[in-house]
Amino acid sequence: MASKSMMSPKKIRIAAFLAVMGPGLIAGLSDNDPAGITTYSVLGADYGYQLLWVLVASMLALIVLHDLGARIGVVTRQGMIGLIRQKYGARSGTLSAGALILANIGTMTAEFAGIAAAGQLFGLSKYISVPVAALAVSFLVLRNSFSTVEKVFFIVSAGFIAYIIAGFMAGPDWGAAAKGVLIPTIPFTQEAIFIATATIGTTLAPWGLAFIQSYAVDKRLTKDDLKLLRVDVWTGSLLTGVIGFFVVVTCAATLHKQGIHINDAADAAKALEPLAGTMAKELFAFGLIGCALLAASILPLSTAYSVSDLTGRPAALDDNLKEAPLFYFTFGFITVLSATLILIPGAPLITILVVTQVLNAILLLPLLIYMYGISKDERLMGEFVATSTMKTIYLIIIAVVGVAISCMLWFTII
Amino acid sequence: MKTPPVKSINTVAKRFVGRSDLALQRKSIRESLVSLAGLIGKPVRYQGGKEIGRLVDVVVRHGEDSYPPVSGLIVKVGQSKSFIDGARIAKLTQNEIQLSTAKVDLTEFTRREGESLLDADVLDHQIVDVNGLRVVRSSDLYLAPLDREIRVVGVDISFKAFIRRIFPGALGRGPVPKHVIDWANVASLAHGTGVVKSNESRAALGQLRPADLADLIEDLAGRERNALIEMLDPELAADALEEMEDEELQGLLRGLSAQRSAELISRMEPDEGAEVLRDLDDDHRESIFMEMDISVAKQLRKLVEFDETLAGGIMTSHMLITHEDDTVASALALLVEHKSRDISDGVVVVDAKGKLLDHIQIIELIAAKPAAKLSSLMGPPYPTSVNLNTRLDEVIDEFANNRGSSIIVVDEKNKPVGRILADDLVDALAPTSDTQGFAQGSGAL
Repeated sequence: MASKSMMSPKKIRIAAFLAVMGPGLIAGLSDNDPAGITTYSVLGADYGYQLLWVLVASMLALIVLHDLGARIGVVTRQGMIGLIRQKYGARSGTLSAGALILANIGTMTAEFAGIAAAGQLFGLSKYISVPVAALAVSFLVLRNSFSTVEKVFFIVSAGFIAYIIAGFMAGPDWGAAAKGVLIPTIPFTQEAIFIATATIGTTLAPWGLAFIQSYAVDKRLTKDDLKLLRVDVWTGSLLTGVIGFFVVVTCAATLHKQGIHINDAADAAKALEPLAGTMAKELFAFGLIGCALLAASILPLSTAYSVSDLTGRPAALDDNLKEAPLFYFTFGFITVLSATLILIPGAPLITILVVTQVLNAILLLPLLIYMYGISKDERLMGEFVATSTMKTIYLIIIAVVGVAISCMLWFTII
Repeated sequence: MKTPPVKSINTVAKRFVGRSDLALQRKSIRESLVSLAGLIGKPVRYQGGKEIGRLVDVVVRHGEDSYPPVSGLIVKVGQSKSFIDGARIAKLTQNEIQLSTAKVDLTEFTRREGESLLDADVLDHQIVDVNGLRVVRSSDLYLAPLDREIRVVGVDISFKAFIRRIFPGALGRGPVPKHVIDWANVASLAHGTGVVKSNESRAALGQLRPADLADLIEDLAGRERNALIEMLDPELAADALEEMEDEELQGLLRGLSAQRSAELISRMEPDEGAEVLRDLDDDHRESIFMEMDISVAKQLRKLVEFDETLAGGIMTSHMLITHEDDTVASALALLVEHKSRDISDGVVVVDAKGKLLDHIQIIELIAAKPAAKLSSLMGPPYPTSVNLNTRLDEVIDEFANNRGSSIIVVDEKNKPVGRILADDLVDALAPTSDTQGFAQGSGAL
């Protein structure tokens, strides 16, 4: 207290923001995981600048939903799964948690796949890179306090700057990019609709929504912090969009121009080498490792929060192993299982990844509907209950996501 | 049982383990438990066996009873939900509820003061396990006949009980009494018009250390949290609030009525209370002052205005002032009267004009003859005193130089206006965050 009053008002504002900052930034940026970067790369390589507006639309939805998630967390002091159990009953809670766990295991496997692929770009075997990453992530979360873990997250996030640098190096056509952002057009083909839906799906990840809420609870943010938290959410979501933008632009300026088709982000990095110089490949690979590591830390954490929340057991990064065994067990289980899946020779990785994507898509819709229900529950939200304008916005997002997911499922199953 | 000097969590636990008057200790009750989760959806029948509808929820009334009695049923009749008075229940088993009459008035249910719905408000919600000192979720609730009424007697927090509810049908609905916590050991903080509370749980909460209680409060959600604060003894609640972090505390006060806030802040140490009030916005602070006793408000207003980096801003204005002509006996009586306060380590002695003469430690008083005058005990070492406007760093220097546990703050006329205790300095110096473990045990000097 004493030191606070010695600072100038401006410094107080900055210090207050730094204290609140976290949930929005980390949850937003971790949505740019290897699957996300792959989707953006394919979007740029196949359609150039044309579909940039899809990215912008996803980003706007991300802002709205993360803002809602963080607010629910702060006001109710409960995680999403716990609230679903409380409001919608034991079955809804368990089903949501079960689907989330399965989807998270799959997504976590995808993160390790990203690390393995990026490692191979630097000539590193996956039998080294994946276990090292799994150990590093576990050590970080299990052995350190909340504030240390958060600081490391921020540092890892800085790796995303690599994509922005790569974007400038590629020398894109800024005019065409602006047109792609502002004018929504789409070639009416199955592939185009699929990639547009995948972009929405990869940005609005269920585990991200569950995470931001639990994290705000764990960080013990209060209603006082809501204004600053909004700044944090906007910053996080905007940065997520900006990074996605640069990935798309990089691929549009190089791969699309040359008509090169790619399958994943590692492909993109390799293909970039002759087009934008050696450094572009390294930057892309470096960015990929950073985003995979961040997401690989968040995913088991998000799962652990959700499981603890469902069962009503303690879940906090500042608790120790003895105080919160279930929390840490879940964390370890998810990490070990996913790392093992990647390392087993001949494991059906493609199947796992496709099923995961479908599961995430199916899960997103009920989660959004539950969130909507919670947001307008006055007994839970009190003075922060959703206004009719906000409710309309939520419903529009739910409708758009619903249509997109239906299209995606249609194409996946057909 | 001998009471240990510090009441720890263990003593609370022992208190309950050794008890024999808990409902679940009785075999007859253990054998007649009905699971609430299993009961929802079961038929409610008239005397003759004709079905009225399906059970939607069970309403209980909270009073002074440890085990809240069932006051009514909410039953789905056709498409609408109706209320049936609890007095009509003849028999309640795991598979059906039978009424004592062949005809009932079906009325629309409206929430009443002091009642809550077991399924909507309590099941799956957060409750405080007073015994284990933690916030948990209830997986199931158990009803049983007790004292001629059907009452809530236990709660199951086990994962097993939760899991079996997910499966369809009556799969393993039977309660396992050893996993059930007696309702008397639980502080359930149901939403709605009433707070679920029992004397037992209230008493048990009263045994907790303020720091542990503060942790519990911080773990709870908004509504539940306010409910817990409401059910606590104000004195204890105030102690717990002192242990909370500033930001938490401010958030909490916004959720409470100005009246309750005023009641709690008045009971806090004045310097702590002033610190909280200082951080609130002007309107909120004023609304709390309005609800306070005028003299308390006046004293706190003065403290709030002091700069936090000056002695006046960190001191506590609560101290025991005695006159040099007073006797040792009267000084000791004064100390006993204020024994609940942390500051009862001695008395401040002033002369006829109210100017500071000395601070006499309690040990000196005990060693002296009761009839002796305080003036006879005065002498070096004299207490360190500082001005209201002495800067914080100078206060620290004074502490460092004198190695005392307190410093007396005087006004320009050398009249004592407050004291700075070592823990006030700790509070002033500790950074605003990460003070959780730090603040524990303050005042125990």
